[in-house]
Amino acid sequence: MAMLRKLTPYLFVAPLMIFITVFTYIPILASLNLSFREWNFLSPDMPFVGLRNYEQLLSSRELWNSLWVTTLFAILSVPLRLGLALVIANYLIRESVHSRLLRGALFLPSVTSTVSIAVVFSWVFSTDYGMVNAILGMLGLGKVQWLQDPHLALWVLIFVNTWKQLGYDIVIYIAGLQAIPQELYDAASIDGCRRLHVFRRVTLPLVMPATYFLLVISVIEAFQVFTIVNVMTRGGPAGATDMLVNLLYEIGFVLFDIGRGSALAVMLFVLLVALAILKSRIIGRKVHYEA
Amino acid sequence: MKPESPLLASLALVAGIVFLSPVLYSIWISFQTANAYYAGEVGFTLDNYGRAVGQYNFARYLVNSLIVSGLVTLLGITFATMAAYAFARYSFRGSNFLFGATVATLMIPSHISLIPNYLSLAKVGLLDTYAGLILPAISNGFAAFFLRQYIRGIPRSLDEAAYMDGATPLRVLWRIIVPLSRPAIASMALYIFMTEWNSYIWPLVAVGDQDLYTLQIGLARLYRINPGEGLVDWPLVMAASTITILPVLLGFLLVERHLVRGITMGAVK
Repeated sequence: MAMLRKLTPYLFVAPLMIFITVFTYIPILASLNLSFREWNFLSPDMPFVGLRNYEQLLSSRELWNSLWVTTLFAILSVPLRLGLALVIANYLIRESVHSRLLRGALFLPSVTSTVSIAVVFSWVFSTDYGMVNAILGMLGLGKVQWLQDPHLALWVLIFVNTWKQLGYDIVIYIAGLQAIPQELYDAASIDGCRRLHVFRRVTLPLVMPATYFLLVISVIEAFQVFTIVNVMTRGGPAGATDMLVNLLYEIGFVLFDIGRGSALAVMLFVLLVALAILKSRIIGRKVHYEA
Repeated sequence: MKPESPLLASLALVAGIVFLSPVLYSIWISFQTANAYYAGEVGFTLDNYGRAVGQYNFARYLVNSLIVSGLVTLLGITFATMAAYAFARYSFRGSNFLFGATVATLMIPSHISLIPNYLSLAKVGLLDTYAGLILPAISNGFAAFFLRQYIRGIPRSLDEAAYMDGATPLRVLWRIIVPLSRPAIASMALYIFMTEWNSYIWPLVAVGDQDLYTLQIGLARLYRINPGEGLVDWPLVMAASTITILPVLLGFLLVERHLVRGITMGAVK
């Protein structure tokens, strides 16, 4: 009986722990192991090749292109998302019917199927029947090949991703803004500060925790973008949208180069865990925990 | 809520409609005949839905999505609640380590396990099965973490009173903790369901058999049938897309408040 009582908590955590171990932790070790081997999924043996997969990746044009495209995506989309979200949140913070309505509309895409959004925007930006070109046509402008032009395709993906994620950012910012004590605003207005000044001197510094949080998760997200790429562009045209996870998918599940795919997965893992640790450091320092 | 000017409210309505116009317009297209659509005319039809559901198998994909997301949610929330209860109420050898390992999964990108999970499920013959779709998605460290925080806020005296009456731990969990954590459990279940409903990369690699496609895979494949060549049958594709969006959309409209609260609690605390 006493034995059973001691076992109780272990029995409660066991199912979760088993699944985490089998499908999360063991695969990390397995990826590491596979990244040192050469295997195409069919051949009977998988010889140890040392660091060759890593060397091949690091000397390939594809990897550097992917890193560049992904970094560009992050650098361009993150400030856009956060800037827009803060301005809109600042406007929508008041509890009223119209602000709730608009918040709902803006939040909707972030819980909607990414594949559907990617399909819908493939239509929006399609050359011959798309919504954007139709609007341009009404203004007397010519058709633009949005998804076929290497200089434009990445911008389209950034637009779509921003459209989808904006509502989430706004919700986080609204929560952050609501935590700012009203007295600070009252004090500022007594001092006769103008709105822009209040925004810069009161709002901006005090939503810093939310900004840090969003900054890091949106960078991490940018490094994991896959669905919109896979549906809308397949990494093209000419590699212009070949982001890292898309490259991983191509190497691992189209070419079935398990070794090289695993090496890329390990590198992406190290990068993202480093970012995540940075996030917990920053958030641990800057955000006041209540729980 | 304060009373407000009708002008502001209608402006907000217009802004919301403009923002959502791509999706709203895609729903409109889904009710147009292909001929009318390409000729730029208006011709109402339900035929696209008929074809999507019948000929293109979307009824099946809908059922698959419901089965997979439903089971992932049920098992995921059950295991997360059990573990959260143990982490909140028991101090046991290794509890810090195990809790740390649970929370650490929040930082681990899922792509690292893609290839190994594919290989191990292939080895045991579970690719192209419901189990293969479901098993890797069950563990949810975030839900366990979130619920543990929540359960810690429930007074221990309630547990103790039940133990005095001779209740077992399982009974305390079921009769006291679960009912009192209902809002938290509901928002986490919703969160798991939506994540799984919209999940793409794992079903993409784990399933080749058309009969096991989820809606996301079915829709992506339908759109990609003739990539880059010929005309895409947009009214048909938009009907399929609407079928894919609708269930989650309806769910969202019902429980928006819960969901938003869950998300902000997770983020800012």
